[in-house]
Amino acid sequence: MRTSVPVKVLAQLSCRNLWRHRRRNAMLLGAIVIAVAFVLLANSLLRGWQAQMLDTVVANLTGHVKVLAPGYRDDPSIQRSFLLPADYQPELPGVDGWASRVRVPGVILSERDTRGVQLVGVDPAQELEISFLADVAVEGDFLESPTDRRVLIGAALADQLETAVGRRIVLMTQGSDGRNREAGYRVAGTYRASSSSLEKVFVFTGREVLQDLLGSPAVTELSIKLVENGQRSVARDILQRQFAAQEASTWDELEPMAASMFRFVDTAMLIWFSIMMAALAFGLVNTLVTAVMERTRELGMLRAIGMQPGVVLIQVVMECLMIVSLGVLLGIGCGVLAVRSLSEGIDLSQWTAGIESYYMGSLLIPVLLPYDILRVLGLSLLFGLLASVFPAWRAVRVEPLDAMRR
Amino acid sequence: MQFLGVLALACSAAVSLAQDTGEAYDLVAGAIDLTRGATSFSEISMQIHRPDWERNSSLVAWTRGREDALIRFTKPAKDAGNATLKDADKMWTFTPRLNRVIRLPYSLMSQSWAGSDFSYNDLSRTDTLLHDYHLTLLETEQADGHTVYTIEAVPHDDAPVVWGREVLVLRDDYVLLSHTFHDQDDLPLKRLEALEIGEKGGRVFATRMRMVKLDEPGHWTEVSYDEVQFDVELEDGLFTVYTLRSGGGG
Repeated sequence: MRTSVPVKVLAQLSCRNLWRHRRRNAMLLGAIVIAVAFVLLANSLLRGWQAQMLDTVVANLTGHVKVLAPGYRDDPSIQRSFLLPADYQPELPGVDGWASRVRVPGVILSERDTRGVQLVGVDPAQELEISFLADVAVEGDFLESPTDRRVLIGAALADQLETAVGRRIVLMTQGSDGRNREAGYRVAGTYRASSSSLEKVFVFTGREVLQDLLGSPAVTELSIKLVENGQRSVARDILQRQFAAQEASTWDELEPMAASMFRFVDTAMLIWFSIMMAALAFGLVNTLVTAVMERTRELGMLRAIGMQPGVVLIQVVMECLMIVSLGVLLGIGCGVLAVRSLSEGIDLSQWTAGIESYYMGSLLIPVLLPYDILRVLGLSLLFGLLASVFPAWRAVRVEPLDAMRR
Repeated sequence: MQFLGVLALACSAAVSLAQDTGEAYDLVAGAIDLTRGATSFSEISMQIHRPDWERNSSLVAWTRGREDALIRFTKPAKDAGNATLKDADKMWTFTPRLNRVIRLPYSLMSQSWAGSDFSYNDLSRTDTLLHDYHLTLLETEQADGHTVYTIEAVPHDDAPVVWGREVLVLRDDYVLLSHTFHDQDDLPLKRLEALEIGEKGGRVFATRMRMVKLDEPGHWTEVSYDEVQFDVELEDGLFTVYTLRSGGGG
């Protein structure tokens, strides 16, 4: 046919057709705007969760990359440890902070209770750079140095043990010779972390103090926080070369559950998007089919006076894309505004007890990535295009003679 | 230094007194020597009392020095055969119904033993009073023709002891009259009291004693020695996991 009708005329036709049913099309437009805005908002909330998950995992003594002795993950004990030179500094690019620790399972006892915990010997200055200890509220004193012979315990644990700052507790664990080691320590302070499960698990003391108790100068882990999460595999490979006899791993290898949840969020975004768009597509198809049916006579006339079927098709698709793209643009605008208005974060503290296990804190701050906006834009237009196929096909099938006879 | 320790009590008493007189360490060494190799066999009744129920059990126990002990329940039928073996600071339990020996992890040592008010630690701790505490003689008085000493034991700061302090009341013939455990607010939490003192097997000691939970009214466990023999011949293999499992001993 090689279009005898110029695009401009087609566009004009489409516009007029849309304008003819202003009210109906405005409602359709509204539906698209709302759907797109919600998809974008949901997207940014999920992204916020994902970012929080990563921060939490990294801060919960995992770091982006970690060096452990072989077998430590299956049997965390001081036997699975390695020596680190006293003046060790990590030699790799993009390091935000690092810490070497001794971390072994142990037992804490007070006069009234006994609890199983993770004993962590730390250099407090290093922890303030990379771990959740930087953000906790401490009652009493924070640990002062790797030789501080006191313990820092979680507030929830202190409640369970019915102990308090300044009291003595007993730590018990297995020494490097496999025999039981125990000693009394004073509580320097209690910390309040974002989740009470952290408070119940980690008991901190000076690194050299714990090494002393265990009878070993070794550390069980070297944890490194990077500037860029994306650099973790590179960093792991460099560390693996530097510590050939040990095992270097990234956080997603160490915390497979967090990693799978992290990946699940990506999938969840697509699922949510598909549900919203599928619902919308029905409305879109329905409206367009109605519009085409109403115009059977008109379309027959156009065909009769020589409009090619291809042009009819283009015209219907164009009509559809016009309303969809207008809706998507407005929707994205509304979505961005909604995310902006929530930039302070959503307070979830009422439900925090339950959501901690999903690596969430009590404040959810939505995160809007340009990539996500582009993806919503692209996928919505694709959906619009697909939704226009059926109505357009109906329009093409109109037989001029039948149509004229109506 | 609880009820099995009582059989070797002379030692800790001597130690406590010695610290005050300045000859502490000579006497500590002497006291430990006293129990070295001392053996005993005893038949014990145990009554666990709770506000709404009570349980009576019978058990037999063999000890050698302060390191080794084997305790086996004989009554009630439900518990008969349950046994606990101690070798220095290691402990095992055996339950015939499961036919399994379990080595007690250290984390469980502060838990209740056989549902009583004694903890595994109470059975297992031996010489801790000697090196983990600072001992002071608080009071000396005369009663029933004996000199009675009240001794305060304050654990060293790095000692693996959760108590704030302990108070022991001892007679000059080394009979322990009471042993009270205070928390770090100085509230007494539990107390071992001698209810009857008598002579059995040729020695004078507390033949009936009670461990009372002071913070839980109505919770106590009473232990009385029905039959005791000292310096008995014991087989070499008595204090082994094999004997524990095979039900041997008597």
